[in-house]
Amino acid sequence: MCACAEHQLAAPAVNHAEAANECDIKVFSCPKSGNSAEEYEDAWALRQTRTPPTGGIRVAVADGATESSFAKLWAVLVAESYVRSEVTGAEFFERLAAARRLWRQRLAGRPLPWFASEKAEQGAFAAFLGVQIDAHENRWTALAVGDCCLMQVDDVGKRMRVLKAFPLEKSSQFTMSPYLIGSRSNGEPPHERIQISKGSLRDGDMLLLATDAVAAWLLKQHENGRPLWKWLYRKLGTPESFAAMVAYGRKHGLRNDDFTLVRVIHHDSPVAAKER
Amino acid sequence: MPYQAEISRKNPGCFLFLVDQSESMEDPFAGGNGKKKAEELATILNKLIHNLSIRCAKSDSIYDYFHVGVLGYSEDSCKPALGGELSGRSLVPISELAGKPLRIEERTKQSDDGAGGVMEQTVKFPVWFDPYGKGGTPMCAALKDATKIVATWCQEHPQGFPPIVINITDGEATDGDLVAAARPLTAVSGEDGSALLFNIHLSSTAGPSIELPGDASKLPDQHAKALFDASSTLTPFMVARATELGLPAAENSRGFIFNAQPLHVIHFLDIGTRPANVRLR
Repeated sequence: MCACAEHQLAAPAVNHAEAANECDIKVFSCPKSGNSAEEYEDAWALRQTRTPPTGGIRVAVADGATESSFAKLWAVLVAESYVRSEVTGAEFFERLAAARRLWRQRLAGRPLPWFASEKAEQGAFAAFLGVQIDAHENRWTALAVGDCCLMQVDDVGKRMRVLKAFPLEKSSQFTMSPYLIGSRSNGEPPHERIQISKGSLRDGDMLLLATDAVAAWLLKQHENGRPLWKWLYRKLGTPESFAAMVAYGRKHGLRNDDFTLVRVIHHDSPVAAKER
Repeated sequence: MPYQAEISRKNPGCFLFLVDQSESMEDPFAGGNGKKKAEELATILNKLIHNLSIRCAKSDSIYDYFHVGVLGYSEDSCKPALGGELSGRSLVPISELAGKPLRIEERTKQSDDGAGGVMEQTVKFPVWFDPYGKGGTPMCAALKDATKIVATWCQEHPQGFPPIVINITDGEATDGDLVAAARPLTAVSGEDGSALLFNIHLSSTAGPSIELPGDASKLPDQHAKALFDASSTLTPFMVARATELGLPAAENSRGFIFNAQPLHVIHFLDIGTRPANVRLR
């Protein structure tokens, strides 16, 4: 991620990974306007897995809460923990002990002023979305706590239907106080806060994983009859194109926040296509 | 739409506290088990500054999302009430305030031991303000001084979120009509709206706590009613946030609290995502 000067449009960074033959994955991110790149508190992680039966691609986004301390570190640890594990269900959250220990260790012995010490005692918090894509079987499984969102769009280039928005479906459902995963031992989300969803994939489907501000804005644009799906599919590919989208968004209701957007375009594997 | 300005380090918010230091504040507080009103006021103010500091703390530093001032009024004058190195200052960035309390006491509290248990822990407890009460209650003079301070703030931060003035008193102004004195204050405006005045009434009159009422019908005396009349209506975001925090807020709620600790007030301004699972103190 590249730094951006204060008071200027944040220069977004683009990361691009060809994670598998079946998927084209691009990751875009930029810090809140007015903040430096070091102050960006979202995180993302990506890994291709080959172990059956969970072979595929694992991708995660996490959003460290502004009103918590050392949230970037926690967001990174949660996202990395997901892509390095092989579970797709709620049991993932029971396996965050190592991440919590690491978070504590990074703070241990650090001389902190009274306010920083007390804030750190509360722990850090992050929203999380992890998606396992089984490209050969043309399906996905998503796990979420908080307001990072997965959007699936099909018939790309034609009618562009939104097949799924998960875990939030409408822009009006986003709030400034979501329930998040905490870095302290009592930060494990209760069962009712954990969201799981599954879906199937067709050739050309687009999956978008986004942190809250960009997800809310994309859904709002869709609700208002000005969807950006086609543009995201065809035009989003470079840092410049992402910067253009952010600049447009800031003039059209995109809340100032850290932005992270992962775009996955699925292509049928030859084997799966032949079997169907 | 007013009251939409983003609060950031570049465009900070402003809290100005007006604190009653008159002799009547030495009387017992109705909700305080023999505690004096002046002691209750000091507790409230120290907790508000403490919580505001924690709210703005970010990793090992503190972000200046807010500038904070304290004006005390007693005898026949009104003056800046922060002490020590901050003496005489009207408004101070929160980072400076957090770094310069009068003293830091040590207290014991129970906390998470990181392994599912609970342990006793010594924590720092900063004190910025000690109880004090003497003479009359020149509340109108305080509102007049506050008007000048927020007017200057609005000139210097024309696009910022309007200042919030929080008056903590037992309600008996001795220098005039406080409702009339409040009007010029709430008429001060920037591009994002007018300054807001909230009143915290610490009364010797016993009765149930009342928070953010929409009308004055249940208020126990004329002092409470005058403070209610002088209080600003909450913005839609504040109503939504107050409701989220479990307070009985509605569309016409005013920033008025009777015999209760107003600790949620500092959360009425948005500075970014706040975890719903953090318990507010």
